[in-house]
Amino acid sequence: MSPTSAPLLLEARRLVKTFPGVRALDEVDLTCRRGRVHALVGENGAGKSTLVRILTGNMAPDSGEILLEGRPVRFHDPRDALAMGVTAVYQELTVLPDMSVLDNVLLGQERTRRGLLRRDDERRVARQVLARVGLEDVDPGARAETLSLANQQLVEIARALARQTRLLILDEPSAVLSGDKLESLFEVVRTVARQGVAVVYISHRLEEIGALADDITVLRDGRDVSSGDAAGYDTTRIIREMVGRDVDTVFPALPQPGREVVLKVRGLVPAGGHGGVPPIDLDVRAGEIVSVAGLVGSGRSRLLRTLAGAHPRDAGTVEVAGRRVRASVRDAVAAGIALVPEERKTDGLVLPLPVRANTTLASLRSVTTGGWLSARREREAFNLEQRRLQIRAAGSDQGTWQLSGGNQQKIVLAKWLRTQPSVLLLDEPTRGIDVGTKAEIYRIVRELAAAGMAVVVVSSDLPEVTGLAHRVIVCRLGRVVGELSGADITEEKVMNLALGLGEVAS
Amino acid sequence: MSSVSAAPGARTSRWSVATAARSGLAAWVIVALLVLGLTVKDPSGFWAPANIANVLTGTVVLGLAALGQHLVVLTGGIDLSVGSMATLSALLTAILINGYPIRTLPVVLAMVVLGLLVGLGHGLLVSRAGLAPFVVTLATFYLLQGVAFMISTTPTGQVTSALTSIGLRRSGPIPWSLPILVVAAALVAGVLRSTAFGRHVYAVGGDRAAARSNGVPVSRTLVLAYGAGAALAALAGVVLAARATVGSPTAGQGLELSAITVVVVGGTSLLGGRGSLVGTLGGVTLLALVESSFTLLQLPATLTDLIRGLVILAAAAIFVTRTRR
Repeated sequence: MSPTSAPLLLEARRLVKTFPGVRALDEVDLTCRRGRVHALVGENGAGKSTLVRILTGNMAPDSGEILLEGRPVRFHDPRDALAMGVTAVYQELTVLPDMSVLDNVLLGQERTRRGLLRRDDERRVARQVLARVGLEDVDPGARAETLSLANQQLVEIARALARQTRLLILDEPSAVLSGDKLESLFEVVRTVARQGVAVVYISHRLEEIGALADDITVLRDGRDVSSGDAAGYDTTRIIREMVGRDVDTVFPALPQPGREVVLKVRGLVPAGGHGGVPPIDLDVRAGEIVSVAGLVGSGRSRLLRTLAGAHPRDAGTVEVAGRRVRASVRDAVAAGIALVPEERKTDGLVLPLPVRANTTLASLRSVTTGGWLSARREREAFNLEQRRLQIRAAGSDQGTWQLSGGNQQKIVLAKWLRTQPSVLLLDEPTRGIDVGTKAEIYRIVRELAAAGMAVVVVSSDLPEVTGLAHRVIVCRLGRVVGELSGADITEEKVMNLALGLGEVAS
Repeated sequence: MSSVSAAPGARTSRWSVATAARSGLAAWVIVALLVLGLTVKDPSGFWAPANIANVLTGTVVLGLAALGQHLVVLTGGIDLSVGSMATLSALLTAILINGYPIRTLPVVLAMVVLGLLVGLGHGLLVSRAGLAPFVVTLATFYLLQGVAFMISTTPTGQVTSALTSIGLRRSGPIPWSLPILVVAAALVAGVLRSTAFGRHVYAVGGDRAAARSNGVPVSRTLVLAYGAGAALAALAGVVLAARATVGSPTAGQGLELSAITVVVVGGTSLLGGRGSLVGTLGGVTLLALVESSFTLLQLPATLTDLIRGLVILAAAAIFVTRTRR
């Protein structure tokens, strides 16, 4: 079917959604036609998941409208969207582990007669949709928890098939699938589309998009960069549009790193990784900034957490300036390793406390006298850091929750800098932070490196990955798949490695 | 033996203990052991119809309150107001009937409706206003008790002989009040097993966000669960009044904690979404058995709380699935 002849099902017009500090969606349009698979692509944080949440009624847009078959609709709750035939398979599994497979498949759409469940009916429906996703061997009575992650994902899809669906949204359904399972997923998507359902398909695997998509919309930084027939897109174009930017963050010049190796990692295997992952070796010199790139779930954060002693290791050694570091947070901190975690609001800060208390949390000894905290010394400590990092806070007693994301992140940095670390690990240091503060954080990181600190940065932000570091290490599926340095560091090369496409000419 | 093999490292036995706890059999195993012990110690005393009836009578009030608590805990909530609800209902039953047989049925029904209304209030505050169940029901725990004390500070009123005989009489080892619990338990079991609402209770308690995403009516489920919970507590209050023949402003004190105790001992997760009615009923029987054996074995009643604490701790250590991140 050609794009214009296929009947229009859903139209999203100029959707806007703002979170504190971030414009997650900026006047995004999306058009879904019956019988066509519409691929939604974009980097992590481009706004795909926000768009899905709005289309499914999990979240209300700040402005903009949604038209279903030409009529404007408002979804106040997922129930409204489901009632109109908009069904989604979410990236985070919503399978209930303690319920049976059968109950999971029919969750929210139980078949009843006079108030009582019609078990035979339910079992028949469940068997039928389970067979369609290739799970005919699964016992519908089994507890969902006993299924593999891949099969739980397929249960999720079966659940959507059991509904009367007009628009099916699949948010990274393939992330945990491979081989046969992937094939049955593709088959399901194609069949569903043939039956006249409009499909929105979100995936990081560009080869899947080539195989499935009829239409493509590229999102970047909350905007729809381009949209059109899939025939007009090749991999190079998609990647270019995903990463290309019009705003360039200014990265200050890189000072030369020193000679001395500060962080020395040999044969490190983080616990609970994918099977058969080769051990990781890594040397970071004084004054060197190394960034670790890769898609979400590629094992980047786990690597950092392992280095910081917050995640157990199966094998390997970590040395800081020649000193062996045991796999414990206390020992890592004692050795001079500091981790600025990804989840600053839960792992990095105690939000209800005043800013001075968060600033001194990792270095309490320095502000105590005979075991008693001195508020005066705590205020002095905060004032010092406030000047050094240009933290915008009303005063040392302001509640940490009242600060903007960028200033909260500076508090986390300050907290660790007070421990005088020699190795600084940063996990998504600028997520959810406005452009101006981003540049300030880059400047701070550079200055710290210039002062001799070894820095490792994990980031999904490609300009950050490429612009901030001396070297880039790319992870994919829990293993290091490539290393780039100097002039070799380009966003295209990083993206190609992260997607497993090898060296595609850019 | 089973508690020893549950030590860390005994992977398979830990799993089977977990399964036993999940299916609710664990509490019944302890009940069986206790029955065995009491049979050995004092066979004629324990198996005397009067003693058995005594144990079973002890299960009725506690069991009704526990059924309601079970529903609420499955949704991931808690109801601390159960005792005060039962107190108010017991007091009002005796005062409103005041010895007039014709009033018996309307008053009993009114009490159940009163409970239902209080519970609906709980459910709305929890689901619509987003308040924590602990806080909401802690407030009504005091509120309802306060209302009861405003009505009367001393035992008052008079129930009818019909109610009294249900509360006090027995046929051999079977107290006349037992069928109330049996019917209520069968109803709750049937609703949980065979209605969409029952499924939704587990789903809302298991993962509220996931339930919502899949179109489960979360608010309605919570409101109904709290409503049924408080209605059952009110019914427990009616039975309390029937047994006391008068209404006391302290009749149900402590019932909320007993109800939570038996739900936990029965292996239901306080986080919601997981639990078995069989286990809760096992917990009810266990607690009733423990309390009646104090009289049987002529132990000082002051030890009750001590034993109760030990039972909870033991149950938590052995059977309750530990929550680690």
